[in-house]
Amino acid sequence: MNEHVKPVYLEEKLDEIRADGHLAYRSKSLPTWCPGCGYFAMQEGLTIALNRLGIRNEDAVVVSGIGCSSRFPFFVNTYGFHTLHGRTLPVATGVKTANDALTVVAIGGDGDGFAIGGGHIPHAARRNVDMTYMVFDNGIYGLTKGQTSPTTAVGFRSKTTPYANEDQPLHPLMMLLAYRASWVGQAYAGRPHHLADMMEQAIAHRGFSYLHILSPCVTFDKTDRTYANLNMQVQDLPDDHDPTDLMAAMAQAAAHEIPALGLFYREERPTLTDVMNDTAERARNAPAPAE
Amino acid sequence: MAKSRNGTDIQFAIIGSAGDGTIAAGDIMKRAAALMGYKVIAFDIYPPEIRGFGKCISRIRISSQQTYSLKHKSDVLISLNDSHAIAHVGEVRDFGAVLFEDSPIAAIPEGGHISAHIAAAQVPYGFANRRICEEATGKARSRNIVALGYAAGLFDIPAEIFHEIIAQKFAKKPQAVTDDNIRAFDAGFAAGKATFKLDDVRVGMPQQVANGKDAVMMTGNGAVARGFLEAGIDTYFGYPITPATSIMERLAAALPRAGGRFLQTEDEIAAISATLGAGYAGARAATATSGPGLALMTEMMGLGVMAEVPFVVVVSQRGGPSTGLPTKTEQSDLNLAVFGGSGDARRIVLAPTNVEGCYRCAGMAFEIAEKYQTPVIVLIDLYLSNRFETVIPPRENVFAPKPRIKPELPENQPYRRFALTDDGISPRALPGDEGHMHTVTGLEHNELGRPSDALHQQMNAKRHDKLTSATRYPGLTTCKRFGDEGRVKVGILGWGSTFGEILETMYAAQDEGISCAAMKVVMLSPLPEERINEFFDDCDHILVPELNHEGQFANLVSGALGRPVVRLNRTTGAPMMVDEILAEVRRLAQTGIGEGTHSPVQQQGATT
Ligand SMILES: Cc1ncc(C[n+]2csc(CCOP(=O)(O)OP(=O)(O)O)c2C)c(N)n1
Ligand code: SF4
Ligand SMILES: [Mg+2]
Repeated sequence: MNEHVKPVYLEEKLDEIRADGHLAYRSKSLPTWCPGCGYFAMQEGLTIALNRLGIRNEDAVVVSGIGCSSRFPFFVNTYGFHTLHGRTLPVATGVKTANDALTVVAIGGDGDGFAIGGGHIPHAARRNVDMTYMVFDNGIYGLTKGQTSPTTAVGFRSKTTPYANEDQPLHPLMMLLAYRASWVGQAYAGRPHHLADMMEQAIAHRGFSYLHILSPCVTFDKTDRTYANLNMQVQDLPDDHDPTDLMAAMAQAAAHEIPALGLFYREERPTLTDVMNDTAERARNAPAPAE
Repeated sequence: MAKSRNGTDIQFAIIGSAGDGTIAAGDIMKRAAALMGYKVIAFDIYPPEIRGFGKCISRIRISSQQTYSLKHKSDVLISLNDSHAIAHVGEVRDFGAVLFEDSPIAAIPEGGHISAHIAAAQVPYGFANRRICEEATGKARSRNIVALGYAAGLFDIPAEIFHEIIAQKFAKKPQAVTDDNIRAFDAGFAAGKATFKLDDVRVGMPQQVANGKDAVMMTGNGAVARGFLEAGIDTYFGYPITPATSIMERLAAALPRAGGRFLQTEDEIAAISATLGAGYAGARAATATSGPGLALMTEMMGLGVMAEVPFVVVVSQRGGPSTGLPTKTEQSDLNLAVFGGSGDARRIVLAPTNVEGCYRCAGMAFEIAEKYQTPVIVLIDLYLSNRFETVIPPRENVFAPKPRIKPELPENQPYRRFALTDDGISPRALPGDEGHMHTVTGLEHNELGRPSDALHQQMNAKRHDKLTSATRYPGLTTCKRFGDEGRVKVGILGWGSTFGEILETMYAAQDEGISCAAMKVVMLSPLPEERINEFFDDCDHILVPELNHEGQFANLVSGALGRPVVRLNRTTGAPMMVDEILAEVRRLAQTGIGEGTHSPVQQQGATT
């Protein structure tokens, strides 16, 4: 270990952290992630965000798919559902539809979301289900030990692309904007304070919020999406970016080879629950359907 | 129970093209019969193409006691269009009646007039339908109603009954439409009444006037939707597929009014995922599909079993495999329903045999799913989905949810969602319950729900054994024996829609003096093995007729019991024919015990 690295938390700092209450959102299970994995920042970020928003533990449900990232629900002290590979969003939609009082956070990896689960994203987004979807994008399949994913860069050598990946990666931000997600933002595991802020905003948004989080897989990607590379690449969105302007958001998303962090787009529109309530109102005023 | 049925038992077949109002006439006929207090079963056949003038058939069987199958031979054929009806003249029994248009201005269809095809033993009734109609209403449109009137006059059905149904049917249209149709009916009625009768068909009022007003005419799908609604279904997520779609369409109209949530999802995977999510959150959640949809849903069924989440999936089977025969009936998704998915994933599968059963199973499915914390499949088929039967629903809602009891929080101990208990059922907390936070998973887990392989064997046993008591679930018929008591020559074991034909066969065999019993099995998983085994003990031969090629139910039962059965398999797309089953029963009745297991009929392909 580098001798200049100091312990992260001094005793007094720890007390301060404990005092703010966010530790009550950590579960007793210790994360199973590799030391150094970006996902630890997400655990810290979500506990901070839930604490700041004052959401009671029992009122939050974290729904995930399958992957290293999808192990997340076990590590927070809320209700959790670790579902099937790719089915995060429809299960979360069911939970929210059944009980609108719950705060629903859906979490998955790039493979879980954009490969096997890709068919569900447009529909959760267009329906504006009032929940937050966070994709932890490490550009790789971590849990299955290092195969390419739909966001893997061209040229990357993984176990399933031993002669280098030639598939064009997807552009999740542009997709989500096109799908009419009503809140689209990007964060990075290496900027934990910004990450926690973005999580807080995303959860506070009424409607379908999509937070894309860049995260290094320190075990299976030693060359591409490393902390060192990402630290040098990430930048903030320009100060004058107007997040209510969809075309500007598209342009920003498209312009950056190098990922920009921040809020790309936000809009207010009726949620799925609003729409269902409206349908119910109209149905009650309509003549009874035939037997 | 009486051996064969007494009283009225008459089947009408109304045949014409889509433009002739064939299905509408059938609808009025069956509603009228039900209002009179008769029991009705009816099945309509539409042309495979959505538009055009393809053949429509409405078959309506009217009887004093409820029957669960259509007769092979109709007593009366009403032709609204000879070009379609000619091919069906043969289905009229001897001394049965054939009603047809004989006015000279009607164009003679290609292939000649239907009268040329009526056999000597059948009784022809030609009447000037078009002329009567035009004289009564000034138009030729209501010829289907004239034909109904003619039939009512001829077979002695009170006109007032039809007047009431016609008024109901056209209630949303201008009054003139009702008036015209009643005039058309009355003109037909007068003509029928004046006709010299040569056949032996008579309907008349039923002998014991049952509560005709309480009887509701329902299809299997309508019964499912009604059962769901009475059970207070909270969410329905679904994806359209024949023959389940009409369940979805009914709920699309009814659920928002009833305070529930309805959503058409992007596919069946999303439908079942959201259904499971809603079930997890405490809702009464259901979806409905057919075989291809169930194939997509199997992974999520496994998660429901593993994570012990209650929800309900109705599966209406059609011909398979793959896209198969979307508009033909079959019973070939039993394997998928009972076993589909990875691992040992026992779930509850209910297969009602008639429309009332569809209503009861759908209504009770939520309660059963909640009690056992597991998915419940209600397995029906196209024939059951689309056919009409008279059902008298209970006056009180017996399916409504009871108030939930929140689990107690153990002191100084973490909440164990998957606690190993005596009956295998663990205390279930719902999101929102204070202090019970936990995560459920499709990974094998310990009692807390945390991923762990250590208890795999115990947990498998828990998930399996907790269901066994469901075979004696109070208020639910999981299997039932009919016919002769004690030792019999032939026992017919059946499931699903085919049981109607099985019962009919059994009565016919008894009439021939063959000692015969039948057992229907409604709960296919877990299987009520003990009672099926007792039935085997009583029968020299067990015959299992079913609408699939491989004998999926026969395999299930003989695999579970380790006892041989005789199979009768058909995949014609149509319901099984009573005559075919009866031929097999006769053959077995003449065969010694232990012989005859290899049925000649079975050489059609099924393996033992
Ligand atoms: C139906 C199904 N197919 C495949 C798998 C195997 N599998 C588990 S996780 C995974 C990919 C995970 O990648 P990602 O979603 O990016 O998550 P990460 O591990 O990188 O966080 C795969 C292919 C599975 N569990 N289920
Ligand atoms: S394999 Fe990669 S993604 Fe998975 S925990 Fe380890 S570092 Fe994180
Ligand atoms: Mg990944």
